[in-house]
Amino acid sequence: MSALLQVSNLHKFYRLSGYWFNRKTFTALEPLSFDIQAYKTLAIVGETGSGKSTLAKLLVGAERPSGGKIKLNGQTLQSGNFKQRCQHIRMIFQDSGTTLNPSLTIQQLLDEPLALNTKLNEAQRAALIRETLQKVGLLADHMNFYPHMFSGGQKQRISLARAIILKPQVIILDEALASLDPSLRSQMINLLLDIQQQMGLAFILISHNLGIVRHFSDDIMVLCGGSVIEMGSTAEVLNKPKHKYTKKLIMSQHFQLYHK
Amino acid sequence: MNLLDIRNLSIELISNKKPILAVERVSLSMKEGEVRGLVGESGSGKSLLAQAIVGVLDDRWKVDADRFHWRGNDLMRLSAEERKKIISKDVAMIFQEPMSCLDPTTTIGEQLEEAVDTEQLTGYFWQKKQQRKLAAAQLLHKVGIKNHEVCTKSYPHQLTEALCQRVMIAMALARRPMLLIADEPTAAMETTNKGQIFRLLASLNQLKNMSILLISHDLENVTHWTDTLTVMYSGQFVEAGTTKQIFEKPYHPYTRALVDSSPKANLQLPAKSRLPTLPGSIPILQHLPIGCRLGPRCPQAQQQCVHAPKVKNYHGHQVSCHFSLRGSY
Repeated sequence: MSALLQVSNLHKFYRLSGYWFNRKTFTALEPLSFDIQAYKTLAIVGETGSGKSTLAKLLVGAERPSGGKIKLNGQTLQSGNFKQRCQHIRMIFQDSGTTLNPSLTIQQLLDEPLALNTKLNEAQRAALIRETLQKVGLLADHMNFYPHMFSGGQKQRISLARAIILKPQVIILDEALASLDPSLRSQMINLLLDIQQQMGLAFILISHNLGIVRHFSDDIMVLCGGSVIEMGSTAEVLNKPKHKYTKKLIMSQHFQLYHK
Repeated sequence: MNLLDIRNLSIELISNKKPILAVERVSLSMKEGEVRGLVGESGSGKSLLAQAIVGVLDDRWKVDADRFHWRGNDLMRLSAEERKKIISKDVAMIFQEPMSCLDPTTTIGEQLEEAVDTEQLTGYFWQKKQQRKLAAAQLLHKVGIKNHEVCTKSYPHQLTEALCQRVMIAMALARRPMLLIADEPTAAMETTNKGQIFRLLASLNQLKNMSILLISHDLENVTHWTDTLTVMYSGQFVEAGTTKQIFEKPYHPYTRALVDSSPKANLQLPAKSRLPTLPGSIPILQHLPIGCRLGPRCPQAQQQCVHAPKVKNYHGHQVSCHFSLRGSY
């Protein structure tokens, strides 16, 4: 089976201010390559400033890469073509409370991507919204509610509904589970795993919590200072970390376990 | 002797319609030199409880308690001023977001000097300024900031979050408190920085015999650092005991679910399998269930659960449930 998403030599640098001959650049991301299959999850771990979020922005198309290629199903994604990209790669953010427009009902929120990207008529769109809300464990009646009427866990479900409504192939979870309460977080993990099985999605999970990473992901990529330090299957990397930085990262979270 | 002894504390929000019981009969006791974790999800009233201890709740909240003792003094009987005198001398609190709690318009040094207690300065009035400066520098050294000169001259936005939290802890230490209340001190912090802050708190506990009440929403984050734990849910007391008791043999269905649902605690669980979890979501303050508030979500709920259960004590392991899981171990 060929890979769903292939990334080769993707890199990003920012130009810093300076005179023409004295121009400096800041490398946010060194060239990196990876590929993901359908039904698989790639976890990206690292500290702040390690380039995790830059990578997510590049993949989703919010920033133009300085070089390198992103291929989806063998087709190269152009960096300016949002129409093509936003249907296939979607993103869920950390703080679901602030990413939902407070002045729109859930129906209007979910209708927007459909109206812009599909040729469905209004009745079909409403039916699809209904179906998607049920898929993420909400009721169809919630369509007419406003975001402030929901709790944090439910808001995150709406973000998920917004992400899957266009039937994408890749979803990027940028710390999407970090701000939830523990009992809601495990509900969300179960829901994400179910949806992955149903729809054949590939997830890219950006997370601090190595416990979730271990449970959720198949492959792991450790970033530090913009470059890939270690990459491989999650079980292998977490059990036998080779690099010092990975060891440190695991130590800083795992000593809490030995105590138990 | 118990440092803090709270029995059946209730906090009511007074509104025009019906008063809302935000915290219902919670007990908490702290010994000297103890590190106690106070764990609860959002809306469980843990921050309210902390604010009630420090006494910073405003008029809209009514605090009631059967017993509210601080080192043998009954705080409920004292006037507000006397109470403030005792509490501000012995209890200090640090908050979630250090950046937003520090004054952005003055330097760290000035803020620290302001916090230094005047009674500790011995000397004539012309020596006091110098002493104050020295005391501020010493406080910074205590929390592990070596080059205090750079730190005192900078503004909060110039420092990293972990450094700001250290400064907050330094301010809290200025009056040499006996109890430090840390309200989610490491929320939204890097894992490596989290470790630093927790290690600092642990060393203060060891060296100065300072008691710490560590408030957190996540059970798995605090277990390594605490001796004893108190678990709350939706304003009700759930379970209290030593960390080991609670982690190995939780008696309450809610604690059981919390321990089970933590992916870190279940390393034997195969990857990508379903995590055991409680159905439903946390009730909001306006629509609290009667009796045991876990009732609608509890896998073991029965008819009896519409009455709030009494706290039972098994060798220091307190649990508030009609059908505790004690028999199942």
